[in-house]
Order: sequence, then C-alpha cells, then structure tokens
Amino acid sequence: MINVEHLTKSYGKHEVLKDISTTVAKGEVVAVIGPSGSGKSTFLRCLNLLETPTSGRITIDGVDLTDRKTDITRVRQHIGMVFQHFHLFPHMTVMDNLIFAPTRVKGVSREEAVAKGMELLDRVGLKDKADFYPSRLSGGQKQRVAIARSLAMDPDIMLFDEPTSALDPEMVKEVLAVIRDLASSGMTMLIVTHEMNFAREAANTIYFIDGGQLLERSTPDSFFAKPKTERAARFLEQVL
Amino acid sequence: MKKGLTGRIVTALACLIILAGYLFVPSADRRADAETRTITMGTSPDYPPYESVDAVGSGEIVGLDIDIAKYISDKLGYKLEISPSDFDGLIAALQTRRVDFVMSGMSVTEERKQSVDFSDSYYLARNTIVSLSGHEYKSLDELKGKKLGVQLGSTQETAAKELEGVTLLSLNKIPDLIQALQAGRVDALIVEDAVAAGYANANENLKFTMVPAAGGDEGYAIAFPKGSPLREEFNSVLSQMKSDGTLQQMIDASFGTETAAPSDSGGGTIDFGVLKPYMSFLLKGIYVTLLFTIVSAAFGFIWGAVLSLFKLSNIPPLRWFSTVYTSIFRGTPLLLQLLLLFYAIPQLFHYNIPPLLAAGLAFGLNSAAYLSETIRGGILAVDKGQREASLALGIPYRTMMISIIMPQAIKNILPALVNECVALVKESSLVSVIGVADLLRRSNIVQADTYRALEPLLFIGAIYYVLVLVLTSLARLLERRMRRSD
Repeated sequence: MINVEHLTKSYGKHEVLKDISTTVAKGEVVAVIGPSGSGKSTFLRCLNLLETPTSGRITIDGVDLTDRKTDITRVRQHIGMVFQHFHLFPHMTVMDNLIFAPTRVKGVSREEAVAKGMELLDRVGLKDKADFYPSRLSGGQKQRVAIARSLAMDPDIMLFDEPTSALDPEMVKEVLAVIRDLASSGMTMLIVTHEMNFAREAANTIYFIDGGQLLERSTPDSFFAKPKTERAARFLEQVL
Repeated sequence: MKKGLTGRIVTALACLIILAGYLFVPSADRRADAETRTITMGTSPDYPPYESVDAVGSGEIVGLDIDIAKYISDKLGYKLEISPSDFDGLIAALQTRRVDFVMSGMSVTEERKQSVDFSDSYYLARNTIVSLSGHEYKSLDELKGKKLGVQLGSTQETAAKELEGVTLLSLNKIPDLIQALQAGRVDALIVEDAVAAGYANANENLKFTMVPAAGGDEGYAIAFPKGSPLREEFNSVLSQMKSDGTLQQMIDASFGTETAAPSDSGGGTIDFGVLKPYMSFLLKGIYVTLLFTIVSAAFGFIWGAVLSLFKLSNIPPLRWFSTVYTSIFRGTPLLLQLLLLFYAIPQLFHYNIPPLLAAGLAFGLNSAAYLSETIRGGILAVDKGQREASLALGIPYRTMMISIIMPQAIKNILPALVNECVALVKESSLVSVIGVADLLRRSNIVQADTYRALEPLLFIGAIYYVLVLVLTSLARLLERRMRRSD
C-alpha cells in the first residue's frame, strides 16, 4: 500500500532522514519509535508531503507522491493525520470541525456529514460535545475530536504524530483506547509514539529510527524481547 | 461557514461600484446627444451671489454665473450641464477636458492666462474692506501694519500684496475668512463687494467699505480650455448681452434680491437656528459619506487581503509587486493620489471617471496598502498547525485561507481594522476637494449660503463623531461574537 524508496530529507547541510526504504501493507499498524530528534516525525510528515522529500520516491496505492504532476491535495484527502497539539479549528464548534472538510472538499451533504459526525463522536465517546467550541474541551477530548475529524474524511491511512505527548497522564489512556480500537478495525496506521506498552500491544510492526536511519523493522514481540541493534537495545534500556 | 461568502462579497462590491458609477456619471455621457450638444460648466458653488447651492429648496446650483451661462447656452442652442467642484480644481478640470468652460467668479489673471483662454469679462467687482464694528477701517491707508485676510488666489490677494506694511492671511474660502475675522485672527478682510454685502447683512457686527477699483483688474470672465472654439461663440453672445442691457438686468436682479438669512442675534454668537432649513441637505451628506466609506473599506479590505497573500506567496514577482505597491501608496499623500486618479484617468484612458468612483478607488487602493501589512501580520500570528491540519485534511489553499486562516487572522486584527474604518470615515472628508457632496462639502455650501462659518462645521463635527461612535459599537458587537469561541 505504502512504498518508500531511498527517502532522504535534508535541511541545508543537516541530513534528517538517510536513505529510508520500506513498505507498509494494507491493514498494517506500524509503531515508529526512537529517541527524540531521530527523524521519526519528519519521516511521518513526508508520507503526506507536509515535508517535501529531498530525494527518493513515495508511492501510495501506485500513486507517486513525489511526482510533480500528482495532485497532492487529493491524495491527502485519503490520508488522515493526527498531531501532537491537536490543531482543531478554534473558531468552529466540534461538529463544524468534523464536517468542514467532508462538506467543503468532498461535497458530502450537510445532513449526511452531520449524521456521520455524530456516529464518529459517539465512537470516541464525545457525543454530548458536538456544539462545544474546542476551547472548552480538555486535552484528551480535543485529541479524540481531532481523531474523529480525520476519520470523517474516510481515510485509507491514518498517521499519528506523537498523539499523546502533549497530554496529562490521566488523559493518555482515553486517547490510546480510541487509537487501539481503530487499529483493531483494520485501518492502515503509522503511529509515532513514546508509549512502549501501547506500541507493543497495538502494533503489528515496530520501526526503530535513530539518527535519520530506519535501523530496525520487526514484530513487537521480537523487538521488545531481543532488539537486533545495539542502539535499539540501549534505547529500550532507557525507556523501559 | 457559508458557501462562497467571498464570492458574494466581491459580487456585491462590484455592484456597488457599478451602481455608484451609474449614479454619479454626468448624464451627458450616457445620453446619445444627437440633436442638441451638451456642454458642461465647471463651478465652485460656494460663492453667492455668483454661484451657490439652493440647499433649502431644489438643491440645484443657482446664481448670477448660472443665469448668464444658461442664457448663453440657450442662445447658442446647447444643453447646459453643471459640474460642481472645488475652486482649486477648476483649472485642472478645464485642462483635462472634464468641463467645457468654467464660470465661478473667476478673475482674469496673467497666471491663469497661461493655462486657459478667457472670454471678455462680464463683471468688474469692486474690492471692499470688511471689518468688525467698533474696529472699522475706512480706507486702505488705515490698514498699514494690520493683519489682512484674503481669499487664496483671488485678485483681492494680488491687490493686498501691493499694500505696504500689511501681513496677509490667505485662506481658501470666504466663510473661513469671516471666521478668522470674528475670532480676531485678522483685523480686516479684503473681498469683493457683492460677497461682502451678503456677509455684512447676515452678521450684524460686520461693516464694509468700498475701496477704489484696483488698476489693471480685468474683472470676471469665462474660462475655456486653450484654443476652444466655444470662446468666440460665447463672446458674441456676451457682447450682445452687454449692448442690449440683458447682462446689467441679470446683475441687478441677482444682487438686488440677495436674500441672506437675517441673523436675529449678534454675528459673534453661535446660533444653530440658521441651520434649520438646511437640515435635510446636510443629513443627506451622511448617506454619501457612508456609501463612500463602505465602498472604499470593502474594496480596501479585499484588495489588502489579496496583497497580503501576495506578500506571503512563494512566487517572487508577486512579493515584489506587493512590496513596491505598499511602499508607493504609503509613501505619497492620499490627497495627491486622489487628485491624480481623478484628473489623470480622463486624460490617459478617455474615461470621465465620476468623482465618487475616483474617490472610492483612491481610498480603497490607499487603504489596501496599509491593511495588507495588518492582515499579513494577522495571518502570520495564526498558529502554523492550523495550516498543517488543513493541508493534511486535503483542504485546497483557497478554501483554507478563506475559511480557516482568515477568520482567525481577522479576529486577531479586529481592533486594527476598526481603526482603519474610523480613519476612513474621517478621511472621507478629503473627497470634497473633487466635488463629491459629502458632509464636509455640504457644510461648505451651507457656510456660503448662510454666511455663517461656525455652525455648519460644529454640526457636521457632531455627525462625524456620532458616526464613529456607532461604528465602534458595531465593532464591539462583532468582536464579542467572534470571541464566542474562546
């Protein structure tokens, strides 16, 4: 489904991603872990071209994202993204946040979008907050709305960029529950996270990125039991 | 969020501009003048008894100059249109062929002869000294060492310059001079007889004394663009009017029936009663001022928003354009831009741009230069994540800017936007120089009509203040609405 070939990304002389190649299958749930500043987020943001790769090729369902002729706006409509700091639209109610893109971009009727929005809010446990403005929600609630907002576009792939890092500890659980639920529904997902326990139980595959290199790709069981590289072992020692 | 909100705003704006254009284009342009040719006369209707606005009655421009012009055009078989503007703009209007001729109590001077052709003179005014009763001056000799008020660019100014030992204060308008005299800023005025008589009738504390006619004064004449064939035609009718006595009759009638509003109190005190008959005339100025402010604010905002996007664009020529644009429009006076637009467009594009459209354009263009910076700041202040979230959802650039970024940017800069609107309301008074009948222009006309300087000014000052108050309360409501989401 997602095919990454020789992806590199540099800011001036500083090389953030070094020759990353990998494939993500449909329905695969990938947890991307590694030390901070290792390039995990940059890797994720390259997948919907929020960052423009310096070189390499990314194809999603056969569409080459790095091809200049590709209408990236259309591709992005099929890739949901959840950010560390939520980025809800503060001037819109929760429901308007959810239905904005479907109605304005996909041309879904308002009634249909609202019905679907309600369903999604129910799924993330926030049905009663539809008419609230984001400023009145807690961090965990905001992040659950942000997930629902992405899902409202019916994406084929979901990208999560440290979805729980900005949350108070007691709110992490409610957000992870939603993501876990989504993972078990068969959605293709990549999640950059520092929650090792969550990565272990929810993901099918662990990517370990350090220094801009994809050092390891393995199942959670083998990765957490016996990492192949020295650096991964040292990282696990520090975080577990 | 409603669909196509900006689309609708742009359409409404276009309609407004077209409507404004339609309303204010001299009707001559729209009529196929097949049978009778229309000629346009330029005049500054604030100089009774020569020309003033019948503000109490029909609102038309009346006076001796108008009577003469009508008589001559009738004789020659032309249809007469009158285009009011500021006295200072009359020569420019002739040179840019906005008008075919000018009659506005205009004296023949050597300087003016350089730029326009004059007919034979039709009236030779005599200069008078106007002074306050109790401090009267009866002859030019008594004025030595005194401070004198004269009208800027008038023959009286030229005459006064030749007096020895006097200090001159040259002002644009007669009412301003009267005010200067009342306030003691000058000791006496030198103005022409018919005007002096009008003011002295309306202000009991003013006295006037005739002085001998200045040598070399060629009197009032009709001005034409250089080489205009109309000049000969007009001269032949004028000489006929002189020989058969028509001209003298008109002069007598005009000056004899001079009906200055008699003041029931002393001239020095303030009496708003004199404004009563002019109320509806003055209040109509609110509509003009508001229409103008709305058109220029809307145009300025939309164009300013576009410019701000240019500035943030990654296409270098767009950035350069908007930077140069801002630099030019901020770096030159608004009044200059207004006059340039008004006088240059007819010359360059052969389109006789109506004053209100020219003013809306000039103010919009100018305001956009300032707003583009404000809006750019507002956009930059919106969290970068908003943009990323929009991009990630696959929202196209235009939709994102209009529905996601701009509403938040505007909320940030609302106080600055309100400032700009308030400034526009007040700056709008500049349009009176090109003859748009806004509040200030109307107060000038009423000043001339009532021979009272202070009351009309105070009155429209109060109107401006109320307009701004209403505007700021509306802005507060809007702000509260936008803060709903906090």
